[in-house]
Amino acid sequence: MIRHDKSPAVACEQFEEDLVLYYYGELAVSERSTVTDHVQSCEPCRLYLKEMESILPLTVKPDEPPQAFWDDYSQEMRRKLTAAGAGESWWQSLISFLQPWAIPAYATAAVAVLAITLTIGKGFWSSKEVPQEDEAFMEILPAAENLDFFKTMEVLDAMDVLEEMGTPAKGSV
Amino acid sequence: MQPGDEELVALARNGDHNAFEELVERHKQKAYRIAFDFARDREEAKDLSQEAFLRAYMHLGNFDGRSGFYTWFYRILVNVCLDYKRRAKRTAAEEFNEAVENQVEPSQVSQKPASPDQQVFAGQLSRKVSIALEALPPRQRTAFILKNNQGLSIKEIAAMMQTAEGTVKVHLHRAVTALRQSLAEFA
Repeated sequence: MIRHDKSPAVACEQFEEDLVLYYYGELAVSERSTVTDHVQSCEPCRLYLKEMESILPLTVKPDEPPQAFWDDYSQEMRRKLTAAGAGESWWQSLISFLQPWAIPAYATAAVAVLAITLTIGKGFWSSKEVPQEDEAFMEILPAAENLDFFKTMEVLDAMDVLEEMGTPAKGSV
Repeated sequence: MQPGDEELVALARNGDHNAFEELVERHKQKAYRIAFDFARDREEAKDLSQEAFLRAYMHLGNFDGRSGFYTWFYRILVNVCLDYKRRAKRTAAEEFNEAVENQVEPSQVSQKPASPDQQVFAGQLSRKVSIALEALPPRQRTAFILKNNQGLSIKEIAAMMQTAEGTVKVHLHRAVTALRQSLAEFA
């Protein structure tokens, strides 16, 4: 039915929101009985409710697709999911790999690998340690270098002595 | 006994495609109907609901189980539908102008119209309803569709929209008020 005057009914202000919830069955039992009592004695609120009952069902557009539609739907969805799975890029895989719940596990694994590496590494380096004889040689090497130094100094001293010997005494000329 | 949604999600996260397909089978009709309420077109509703399933599949890692799969998935679906509506807003505005131009005066519609007239009337009504729904702000439209068309409880809608139940009630009341105003001639 189409009405000529297009103004909707006006309900009592304090009941308007409750009338909507009443229509949808969302009021508690006590509130519901209050609204029921009020509507029985209030013409505008009764009209408001009646308008909702006639207008709101019109907003639902009926649609009942046939079974073939649902079969196609499932097949199409399967294809899309397969394509989405295959097309998942490397960074999405990385993001899923780095899920928050997995981070402690990855951290533990990393610490374990580090510990193993250090342990094995220590053994590796210690196996290449300098033999004891060489070690002794390495220890005395700086001293040996000092010996050379002292030897050089001795030669220089000797040269001084020779120079002194070769120099004529003062006043002998 | 059939596995629950959350069990299927866990399996799907471990790469079990069949588990996710089972979730699709369980929820496809409901998902389609919600999408249809937003789009009011069969093919678009199919595309939108499938897009929501794909997004859910790609972001299964984000599902933390605090809400049920149902709530989490339908939140994605509603967002997909609202995104679609935002994109289609320009088209709707064009349809509105067209509808206004083609609107038949109430006096031109007889009380007992012949079948072709009835079809014309039904078409006009459908178009006016679409426009009226389209004019609602997204959150009012969402609350209204989920309540009026899907029959979800205020509590479920609040969980889906991640808001308080009181807020949903306000959205619903405002949506109904606006629709009564737009569609008063059909009362």
